[in-house]
Amino acid sequence: MIGGVGHSACFQCGACVGDCPGARYSERFNPRQIMLMAILGLADRLVTRDSLVWDCTNCCNCVEHCPQDVQPMEVIIAIKNMIRDRGLFPEKSETIVGAVLETGRTVVMSDLIHKRRRELDLPALAKPPVEELAAILETDNG
Amino acid sequence: MSGNGVRKYIPFFGCLISTKHSHFEAAVRRTAPKLGMELVDVAGFTCCPDPIYYKAADTLDWLTVAARNLSVAEDVGHDVLTCCSGCTLTLSEANHTLTHDDGLREKVNQRLKKVGREFKGTIRVRHIATVLRDDVGMEAVSASVSRPLEGLRVAIHYGCHLLKPERIMRVEDPARPVILQNLLRAIGAEPVFNTRHMFCCGKACQDEDLSGRIMHDNLTEFSDLDVDALGLICPTCFDEYDLGQIQLSRKSDRKFRIPVFYYFQLLGLAQGFSPDDVGLKRHKVSAKPVLEKLGLVAPVKPG
Repeated sequence: MIGGVGHSACFQCGACVGDCPGARYSERFNPRQIMLMAILGLADRLVTRDSLVWDCTNCCNCVEHCPQDVQPMEVIIAIKNMIRDRGLFPEKSETIVGAVLETGRTVVMSDLIHKRRRELDLPALAKPPVEELAAILETDNG
Repeated sequence: MSGNGVRKYIPFFGCLISTKHSHFEAAVRRTAPKLGMELVDVAGFTCCPDPIYYKAADTLDWLTVAARNLSVAEDVGHDVLTCCSGCTLTLSEANHTLTHDDGLREKVNQRLKKVGREFKGTIRVRHIATVLRDDVGMEAVSASVSRPLEGLRVAIHYGCHLLKPERIMRVEDPARPVILQNLLRAIGAEPVFNTRHMFCCGKACQDEDLSGRIMHDNLTEFSDLDVDALGLICPTCFDEYDLGQIQLSRKSDRKFRIPVFYYFQLLGLAQGFSPDDVGLKRHKVSAKPVLEKLGLVAPVKPG
């Protein structure tokens, strides 16, 4: 696991909650509670297909406000990594990851994209070296 | 202008700007030479990769792909110029993490070795807005302008990842930023303070209903302030506000019609480029009211 390893320093002050768009707009999302579950060794309960961790907006405010440098957003991302490891990753997200591996981009190319670049006198887009991506990403994922 | 030499940067436009928002790339490429910036294009980049979906899938893979992109730039040796907040976050964080964590760097370099690459940590990753502030200077930005956008009231949306996480970005205090206000003033526009300028756009949340409600409240604030435009520096935020505004207006009682601009489009107009040069016709929310106010198109006569 990379990142999200400092949660045991969390003393549950709640500084991560006040400025959290997720907490403000989602009834079920509360970064302090997620940290509590991580401290208690219960983060596994958040490793589900419709996990509330997907309500995180990735804004980094919790990272900024935490007096203990726990980096709650990184704990949440570590849980998302676990969700993918269990094969429970959301389909839309998996499609984007697949597109990067296959084409080197998140956006699917089209004739219109090339045409619009020509209209703006922009240089033609080269094909990204996807074979290099395949080579550097093989093995470890087993 | 501070210094006589032209400064060289390796532009990293990323997936969104080079494809869906190529008019932003055009705006950057057109305005940069007037700021003494030379863009040195480098072949061999892939997706940064994106700091939301890709990092959520596998943080080590995410770091590996980012490190590969950085190593491509390191071979040339100039700083990387990012134009998208997502690319900025990914490449800055990877550069920071892999420079500070010897174990992770070794792990990632073991993987890069298979294609004859190595991450060294020899260059910096810099969002283009910070390059304008730190290398070009606000005075030189002003000096590049031939048609100041006088009287244009612009609400700023900072987005999250130009400034945060602060320990990596080191731009300024993310609670009280001034960089974008100053960049707007430098081209003659008036930044309009709003309580939502630091709020997340919501786009990076996988729950679309939640991001829709965030957008509704953000746009309500901007509309109530009676601003001419919304100015920002991130293509993801742009999507959320431009196309998102149309989609939201269909579902909501309130109809939102605030023209949205990528900062370098405004800079381009101020430098004398035409609306077509910076691709304004590609926007979903018409930029026409702004162009009328600036005297760049004739106002439509009523009736």
